[in-house]
Amino acid sequence: MKTPSHSSNSSHLEPDSEYASSPAEKREPRIVTRPAPPLAVDNRSHNRPMNSPSNSTSPAPATHADVAPAVVVPAHAGAAREEQPRLSVLDAIRRGEPTKGYTHPAMAREKPILNVADFKLWYGKSQALHGITMPIPEKKVTALIGPSGCGKSTLLRCFNRMNDLVDGVRVDGSMKLISPSATFDVYDRSVDVINLRRKIGMVFQKPNPFPMSIFENVVYPLRIAGERKKSVLREACEKALRSAALWDEAKDRLGESALGMSGGQQQRLCIARAVVAEPEVLLMDEPCSALDPIATLKIEELIHKMSSGGAEGGGRGYTVIIVTHNMHQAARVSDFTAFMYIGRLVEYGPTANIFQNPYLPETEQYVTGRFG
Amino acid sequence: MSAIPASNTPSASFGGTAESKFALRRIVNSTMFWACALGTLLVVLILVLVAGYLFILGLPGIKWSLFTQDPTGDALNPGGLRHAIVGTAQLLLMASVVGVPMGMLSGVYLSEYSREPGFWGAWLAKPVRFIADVLAGVPSIVIGILGYELLVVPLGNYNGYAGALALAFIIIPIVARTSEEMLRLVPDSYRAGSLALGATKSQTITRVVLPAATGSIVTGVMLALARVAGETAPLLFTALGNRTLTMDPMQPFPSLTVQVYQYVTGPYQAQKQVGWAGILVLIALLLVLNLTIRLVTARAIRSRT
Repeated sequence: MKTPSHSSNSSHLEPDSEYASSPAEKREPRIVTRPAPPLAVDNRSHNRPMNSPSNSTSPAPATHADVAPAVVVPAHAGAAREEQPRLSVLDAIRRGEPTKGYTHPAMAREKPILNVADFKLWYGKSQALHGITMPIPEKKVTALIGPSGCGKSTLLRCFNRMNDLVDGVRVDGSMKLISPSATFDVYDRSVDVINLRRKIGMVFQKPNPFPMSIFENVVYPLRIAGERKKSVLREACEKALRSAALWDEAKDRLGESALGMSGGQQQRLCIARAVVAEPEVLLMDEPCSALDPIATLKIEELIHKMSSGGAEGGGRGYTVIIVTHNMHQAARVSDFTAFMYIGRLVEYGPTANIFQNPYLPETEQYVTGRFG
Repeated sequence: MSAIPASNTPSASFGGTAESKFALRRIVNSTMFWACALGTLLVVLILVLVAGYLFILGLPGIKWSLFTQDPTGDALNPGGLRHAIVGTAQLLLMASVVGVPMGMLSGVYLSEYSREPGFWGAWLAKPVRFIADVLAGVPSIVIGILGYELLVVPLGNYNGYAGALALAFIIIPIVARTSEEMLRLVPDSYRAGSLALGATKSQTITRVVLPAATGSIVTGVMLALARVAGETAPLLFTALGNRTLTMDPMQPFPSLTVQVYQYVTGPYQAQKQVGWAGILVLIALLLVLNLTIRLVTARAIRSRT
């Protein structure tokens, strides 16, 4: 980190330790509809140091040996923020200064299935992810939100290593999959990517059924895994279509081309295809952005059911990680929400907290639609 | 000119000069249309002329004996073209057995593996693509001479294998480049979707990408086959031709094009007649081949989905 120029107004900075020591200190729940303060009202903010030199966000790459969600408080202009919030964390991020997100303590109570620690990613020379640290709770829905280009899709595509397909991608840090069968780092040399992708399914932004019949689309993951028995395939197909809430619409036309379905049906078909091999995690990259509101509603209901593991979810809960542009959608479908900004995690916690009582004013600004 | 949608620009508010501008625009617009229409008409006219001329010359020679008899050696009663039809069919079969898989494999390589970094990916693909383009443009007689030097001289006589391989040599670059182009048209979302489901690259190619492009690849293969079926020059140097039916590709090998060439350029009217009929037969054969392959692949695709 560049040595911050200590101007006189840095004196009003409160030591971080004050927050760090009492993270759960109850502050007054802010009301979300509070009038928006202007962005970066403090024109001194550009030379105000973000962090006092000794605080925890010092550039010495924080060793996140403990991946338990630590409460890391970004430097703030302390109490002054309450009356006149400045988007200082976002300013700092824009300036490229190291920051760490605030992770709600509630995250520590969840059993993680994926543990991301100080994860960084570069596309060629430009860094797209900066030290992301977040546990993904098992059998819950986690939403990644943030303005375009904040790296949420990039992060999502790291979980099943789809970024490997992009030229010049380099990653650093750890990303552990804690599955019942084995715990391993997703980016370990010994990891078989094919196997990993069978454990971590993915649904894309635009429905992408293959130009085959509905049946063949659904059982594709089983076919490539070498399953030949018709009875097994049929059974799995029905189960997957049921868990994607598509069985009633598709059961009489399994032999027809999948390309003849409506967009919403196609996307549910892709969900069925992604879950037919019973992955442990399901990644969804803006799954509804190409769909109309009714189809969106159906998919959202589906996501909800699948994670809770009801009868429609095939009796097992899925861990779902969903990237969305639509904050209402994140609020509706997810249990936990992570707010990202230019490659950094800003705030991560239970969805209700993020939307109704966020810790950082920046988050509140974003979820109430005042910027981004 | 009711064929052209009239420009419905509201002209009222623009006054007289604007009105004349619209007139010019309308004239340019319709000139464009009629120029294109005229060009198309000319092409159709030429095609009709050629086809009509062929039919007039060839139709009288179409007899059942054309398909059942070999040449008699009698200039006044030349017999049929059975040997040449069978010969061309065999040459095409051998050439496509060699050329189509090789062409398709290199097309897959150029389209699917050329994006990977390293020597076996992007580095090698560029020269391969360039060479394929150059090969596709090499005059066929050059390939005939190559076949002569490589396969006729060492073996000691003109033979069917040399002819088939010369044709395969023409097929490979055409099929390679058309397959590459067709595979590139397959949306990347299919590839990403398949890989994200845990498929290997080869599974993705064989189960998703190639089937999605089958129809257009078949078209490319058909074009290549049609092209070589009409080749004469490379066969003159390699298979040479034969006036008897043979199944032994080590012998000089008959083909429709060479036989037609010999008959039509010869002095005997009866043989010329058979030659003209032979051209019609060649065109009809290609048509049948084309339709058959299309039907078969369409059925294969349907049964798989």
